[in-house]
Amino acid sequence: MEVSSLPISASLRAKLISGGYTSISSLFSVSHSDIARDLKISENEALEILRVASQRRGSERSNGTSSIVNGAQSAWEMLNEEKSLGHITTSCSELDDILGGGISCKEVTEIGGVPGIGKTQLGIQLAVNVQIPMDYGGLQGKAVYIDTEGSFMVERALQIAEACLEDMREYHGFLKRDLQACQVNMQPKDFLENIFYFRVCSYTEQIAVVNYLEKFISEHKDVKVVIIDSITFHFRQDFDDMALRTRLLGGMALKLMKLAKKYTLAVILLNQVTTKYTEGQYQLTLALGDSWSHACTNRVILYWNGNERYAYIDKSPSVRSAAAAYSVTGRGIRSSVSNYKRVKML
Amino acid sequence: MKPEDLLQRLSPTHTQKCTVGCPVLDRFLGGGIPCNSITELVAESGCGKTQISLQLLLSAQLPTSLGGLSGSSIYLYSESPFPVRRLHQLSSSFPTLHNPLDKILTHPLHSAHHLFDVLSQLDSLLSSRRDTPSSPPIKLIVIDSIAALFRFEFENNPRDLKQRSGLFFRISSKLKEQARRFGLAVVVINQVVDVMNDSDGLRIGNSTCLYTSERKVCAALGLSWANCVNTRLFLSRQEERIAREVNGDDGFSTQTRRFIRVAFAPHLPDSYCEFVITGEKIFGLER
Repeated sequence: MEVSSLPISASLRAKLISGGYTSISSLFSVSHSDIARDLKISENEALEILRVASQRRGSERSNGTSSIVNGAQSAWEMLNEEKSLGHITTSCSELDDILGGGISCKEVTEIGGVPGIGKTQLGIQLAVNVQIPMDYGGLQGKAVYIDTEGSFMVERALQIAEACLEDMREYHGFLKRDLQACQVNMQPKDFLENIFYFRVCSYTEQIAVVNYLEKFISEHKDVKVVIIDSITFHFRQDFDDMALRTRLLGGMALKLMKLAKKYTLAVILLNQVTTKYTEGQYQLTLALGDSWSHACTNRVILYWNGNERYAYIDKSPSVRSAAAAYSVTGRGIRSSVSNYKRVKML
Repeated sequence: MKPEDLLQRLSPTHTQKCTVGCPVLDRFLGGGIPCNSITELVAESGCGKTQISLQLLLSAQLPTSLGGLSGSSIYLYSESPFPVRRLHQLSSSFPTLHNPLDKILTHPLHSAHHLFDVLSQLDSLLSSRRDTPSSPPIKLIVIDSIAALFRFEFENNPRDLKQRSGLFFRISSKLKEQARRFGLAVVVINQVVDVMNDSDGLRIGNSTCLYTSERKVCAALGLSWANCVNTRLFLSRQEERIAREVNGDDGFSTQTRRFIRVAFAPHLPDSYCEFVITGEKIFGLER
């Protein structure tokens, strides 16, 4: 609907149109202060425009559930939307369970642990799993992999993709349904084609890539996961100005969070662990300090428990803290062998 | 800014590797030492870390068709005088190479800061070197050893430890950048420290601690350095007594067995391989 149909003064209408706000829908996503600034009108006038516009929108919709503030959602709407959102499976059912079905889209998840625990393995696994077709319960999306450490190995990605394909074929045979249309005709190499790989060699490059992501993803809307392996590496080299480091990291986290919301994608930030000196003893914590620990929505810590690898949900607004065993196999991330035995015994 | 097309690489299915000069060890390593990342060899003295890296200096000169990188190499050393005799000895098992010692550049290191300075100076050498048969481009950097540089320069207090770890990350970042820009294989040699208490130490990689010569050890330089390398390989030795009958009397002779084990690697499973050092060659044994 055109702005010209709104019952507002002619001068305001002219200002709106010359400012580029031609349709009513273009007013829904902006705040009154934006409009006031853009059109050089008073805030009260801008509020009035938005009020009139939302009235018009409300009368347009039969159910009439217009929101108080433009762009706001009711909790009910959010709940419904969240239910329809997909999850990316980790290929370990116990880990998926404690995560509430897998890695959530629209959220930033931080995963940390000691070297060799399987952070990169989990990263590659997610870059592959995000591509599982919808017919197999996947998201059929693409992945952005930002490698800051140089640990991404093509042959490993291929191995994991091959195993993922085998599992899909097995599942296909198991169903024995007529799924001709979605017969698994993907090749392991196709998986590599759908991983957009960026190798960054300094923290400036890292910030540049994160800034560029918005544009890149707006051109590749099928990207459903962004993995940064690791967020930490370039920020641990003698940063003299720790306040600057905190600001840079905070800014990056905000951008990523915005991306996750806007394009309904999952952001995975891999982090390293470090020892922290508190009360006379050294303790293991995720790197980058206390203020960083607030930056991510979810926090998962990977650790060794005896000879088994475990994942622990340290922070999450939606699922409770829990731990689950997983293992790293030749085929990728899988359920822990001991869990498997337990199930068999039952 | 553009993402890299993974399929447009030199070889889309494999990261380029540098052979270590033995098919058994190559198979164990998935083709050899990977380019574009840092591989660390950890061992107590006398296990063969220097031996393996010397052989690598030679095998890197092999043409790519034979698994090498057809390149020159740089050897940065901090510990002993450069073992040039041993290198010459090993070169005899590479008869196809023409004047191999000419293609190995060496430089001594005095301190950790000195290493960083040398690496920064390498940039111009790495980019300016023209590809001629007598001096092919540099494809391998070996640092022997990183631990010796750091073990004495820093005190064990929070301030020095913080400085030390900052320097780890700077050196590692520089090495990774060069590895990436010039397609280098980077090998860093590290020492071990004894694990004193019996309590569970911090587990890094495939086991909490490792046994070598019946000592319980772990890699030197701690957790922050472990974050700086991509692949960690652990070498160990063990003395075995073999019963032997000499002129009717029971006697024993000892034999040293050496093993190489994956501590962590993005592309290798937890596995190990036995290897042997002889006068001419270092090679793996089939299991």
